[in-house]
Amino acid sequence: MILAVLFANSDGNILIERFHGVPAEERLHWRSFLVKLGSENLKGSKNEELHVASHKSVSIVYTTIGDVCLYIVGKDEYDELALAEVIFAITSAVKDVCGKPPTERLFLDKYGRICLCLDEIVWQGLLENTEKDRVRRLTRLKPPVEP
Amino acid sequence: MAQPLVVKKDDDLDEEEYYSPFLGIEKGAVLQEARVFHDPQLDARRCCQVITKLLYLLNQGDTFTKVEATEVFFATTKLFQSKDAGLRRMVYLMIKELSPSADEVIIVTSSLMKDMNSKTDMYRANAIRVLCRIIDSTLLTQIERYLKQAIVDKNPVVASAALVSGIYLLQTSPEVVKRWSNEVQEAVQSRAALVQFHALALLHQIRQNDRLAVSKLVTSLTRGSVRSPLAQCLLIRYTSQVIRESGVNQGGDRPFFDFLESCLRNKAEMVILEAARAITELNGVTSRELTPAITVLQLFLSSSKPVLRFAAVRTLNKVASTHPLAVTNCNIDMESLISDQNRSIATLAITTLLKTGNESSVDRLMKQMTNFMSDIADEFKIVVVEAIRSLCLKFPLKYRSLMNFLSNILREEGGFEYKKAIVDSIIILIRDIPDAKESGLFHLCEFIEDCEFTYLSTQILHFLGNEGPKTSDPSKYIRYIYNRVILENATVRASAVSTLAKFGALVDSLKPRIFVLLRRCLFDGDDEVRDRATLYFKLLGGEATVGETEKDVNEFLFGSLDVPLVNLETSLRNYEPSDVPFDISSVSKETKSQPLAEKKSTGKKSAGPASAVSGPVSTVDASYEKLLSSIPEFADFGKLFKSSAPVELTEAETEYSVNVVKHIFDGHVVLQYNCTNTIPEQLLEQVVVFVDASEADEFLEVASKPLESLPYDSPGRTFVAFEKPEGVIATGKFSNILKFIVKEVDPSTGEAEDDGVEDEYQLEDLEIVSADYMLKVGVSNFRNAWESMDPESERVDEYGLGVRESLAEAVSAVISILGMQPCEGTDVVPSNSRSHTCLLSGVFIGNVKVLVRLSFGISAPKEVAMKLAVRSDDPEISDKIHEIVANG
Repeated sequence: MILAVLFANSDGNILIERFHGVPAEERLHWRSFLVKLGSENLKGSKNEELHVASHKSVSIVYTTIGDVCLYIVGKDEYDELALAEVIFAITSAVKDVCGKPPTERLFLDKYGRICLCLDEIVWQGLLENTEKDRVRRLTRLKPPVEP
Repeated sequence: MAQPLVVKKDDDLDEEEYYSPFLGIEKGAVLQEARVFHDPQLDARRCCQVITKLLYLLNQGDTFTKVEATEVFFATTKLFQSKDAGLRRMVYLMIKELSPSADEVIIVTSSLMKDMNSKTDMYRANAIRVLCRIIDSTLLTQIERYLKQAIVDKNPVVASAALVSGIYLLQTSPEVVKRWSNEVQEAVQSRAALVQFHALALLHQIRQNDRLAVSKLVTSLTRGSVRSPLAQCLLIRYTSQVIRESGVNQGGDRPFFDFLESCLRNKAEMVILEAARAITELNGVTSRELTPAITVLQLFLSSSKPVLRFAAVRTLNKVASTHPLAVTNCNIDMESLISDQNRSIATLAITTLLKTGNESSVDRLMKQMTNFMSDIADEFKIVVVEAIRSLCLKFPLKYRSLMNFLSNILREEGGFEYKKAIVDSIIILIRDIPDAKESGLFHLCEFIEDCEFTYLSTQILHFLGNEGPKTSDPSKYIRYIYNRVILENATVRASAVSTLAKFGALVDSLKPRIFVLLRRCLFDGDDEVRDRATLYFKLLGGEATVGETEKDVNEFLFGSLDVPLVNLETSLRNYEPSDVPFDISSVSKETKSQPLAEKKSTGKKSAGPASAVSGPVSTVDASYEKLLSSIPEFADFGKLFKSSAPVELTEAETEYSVNVVKHIFDGHVVLQYNCTNTIPEQLLEQVVVFVDASEADEFLEVASKPLESLPYDSPGRTFVAFEKPEGVIATGKFSNILKFIVKEVDPSTGEAEDDGVEDEYQLEDLEIVSADYMLKVGVSNFRNAWESMDPESERVDEYGLGVRESLAEAVSAVISILGMQPCEGTDVVPSNSRSHTCLLSGVFIGNVKVLVRLSFGISAPKEVAMKLAVRSDDPEISDKIHEIVANG
């Protein structure tokens, strides 16, 4: 299960968050934990360089894309490798929508479309689509081009 | 490169401050704007903008009241009238986000059902996802037919949407989803990679409790081609589950191992790593099986992708715990990871190296680690400290560099948990490695000079008081201790005063000077410090008496309080001020509760034996010694040699829980039965264990001490004592029956009835074995200890141990027969080795030091031969050790 997908700006303000199977009372804890993790490790890191951490069966993969930080938390079959796949799908889709690694402003400008992409990639904690062209077409309700 | 980027960023920031699309966004205003959803001529673009604002509010943690949510929901449903694809996509998302309540869902189901049967594939896919998210099980049965069709739809987007919905619905309506298995089975064969992935995940979840079905699934898929790497990873996981459950073939082959191995050559890195991980986690994996997996993991250690490095080092770290030798080839790559940007990777690399390192690499490793420690978080540091502690116990000769490392990091910044981990490690090293004592104590002294944690200061002072006086030059510690009296808070000062007194009591040459220091403490501002100083001052000066001899003084200072605090408190409360002083000896020593060590073990069945095996040194527990000597019947049994870990005599969660501790004396054995009554409605009285020793010829029952009463959940104990011939390793089997009078208790009042009924309860048998006469006492340097023993006392013989499961199993069987302490980590047998040497040390009853060298060899048909060499203080004991092994 992908427990959480969270976008934050560089100050740690949440831009988008999606939790799946995480009780409401634990969400605040996750939010502050992830933001703290990012503030400690993402400063000065390269764009889209992946960071990874794990505790027992829970894995966290996180990165920066432009001015935005992206955190993904998963457990069981969504280990660091699967999460890397998820984060790659999300960053590709975000860049596709924004045309480049976004600034916070650009990210907010494309907010609706990014929400749609996210909905196509992660649905109720499961990875549904991975490929950016397919995701782009799906967000426009166009059938994907089969290879 | 960096500069232009920074400038650009600043520009963007300025822009954002003025132009954020959501600047000043307010819920009320957005809800007003949502009225455009009702317009007869819908403006799709405008509606999309409003939905985006609503989504933003929801994502920011804003909540809608019931009325607001209903209003927005109804308005959103109006948007189904628009044919604009972009808007329709937004509507699907919005409905899902609003999660309408059961009574509202009905409004939207007809629109969604219509979309689900639409000719446009994308409408179908999205409608399925939204419907499955919001409907309940009754409605689900109505649309089940459509969902089953969708699973086998030729459009992969529709099929995937139905499959992921199935995975989601399995949690709420499993009985419905389980009916879809034929369709899902068909979807597994789909040519679309993602459909196959989703179908495989769902099929496995549907069939996960049916072992045979999972096995069939794996068998068919491992033969065919699974297209997506994600599905391949799932298949690897399911395969290893099947392997785990099926074990090894008769021919010694592991089923499906070839499949796992072939996955190591897959194109996708993800699949390779998953396969390597699965291989390393196989039960009883051999080094032949491990080698290819380790090789690919080693390659990933130098990957440019952090996730791959992390996954590889994490897997190798786990392997290092069980097969350290298999990982040593990766040490060079692992060392380069110490400087990895990602601290998680670096920490895993360090702790792996600490597990696989050999004696010669320790110093180099320590140098590399010094820089590393300064830039990781405390939680990582604690992991490293624990790894260093185990390394030091494995290579005691390296204590100097490891101890220096610990003392260096002790001086650096860090939180309480981290500092405590270091202090605990130093204390353990001092206890286990005698040579490390002086330097360790010195490091601890240095630490308390500038320690901000009261708890740690008092712990160290207490430890210093017990160990410091026994060193070659105790006077050098006094300065550090007295500094505490001058500089610290009252709690630490009080501890320091006690420590000073201990030095004064044990070191005669220091006594006059300690007097001077204690006198200075008599005027301390704190009551406790002053009282302690006064007490010790008078005690050491002979003005106050706590006994007749100096031994009594020491007992008073070093011994723990021998009466239960609860009893002391009760007695003090009952004491009325009078001319007759309070007499501590009048306080009852009878305790109602068990000592802490026993309590811990009663909860977990495995805790007792496991800790006894892994604990480096087991000596007599002072609390047991005190307890037994306070019982008159056992007072003349002499000195207690050994107390075993508690052995459970009942299954977990039975009516009565009983475990037994075997106390071994020279000529006697006392069995202490710890009993707990777990039935609230019962009170047990006259509890006694009837022991049948007919299968233990050499034991003669001499005393039995019943337990007067055993109320609910208040543990108590009863004892049975046996006489045995001195100097004989008497062994035997005892059968036990718990006998008692049971009285009913009224739960409302808690009062027991007057009349009771006699009853009994069968307990499991207990054995006294040769290992009970051996204390596990380690030596820091086995070779020196061996050579310093008289070669004349050496007895050597060879034994055939027959066919064994593995060499490791044979080694651990011999260790447990002898009950001795393995030295220098020689109890761990590298997998697949054909021979092994194990070094053991212990103290045999009668305080005879014993050292054992065991050389094992295993032949192709798993026949194990062993050479046993024993040296001991008494050649007769060397012979006895051989007897024990021969009879074992």
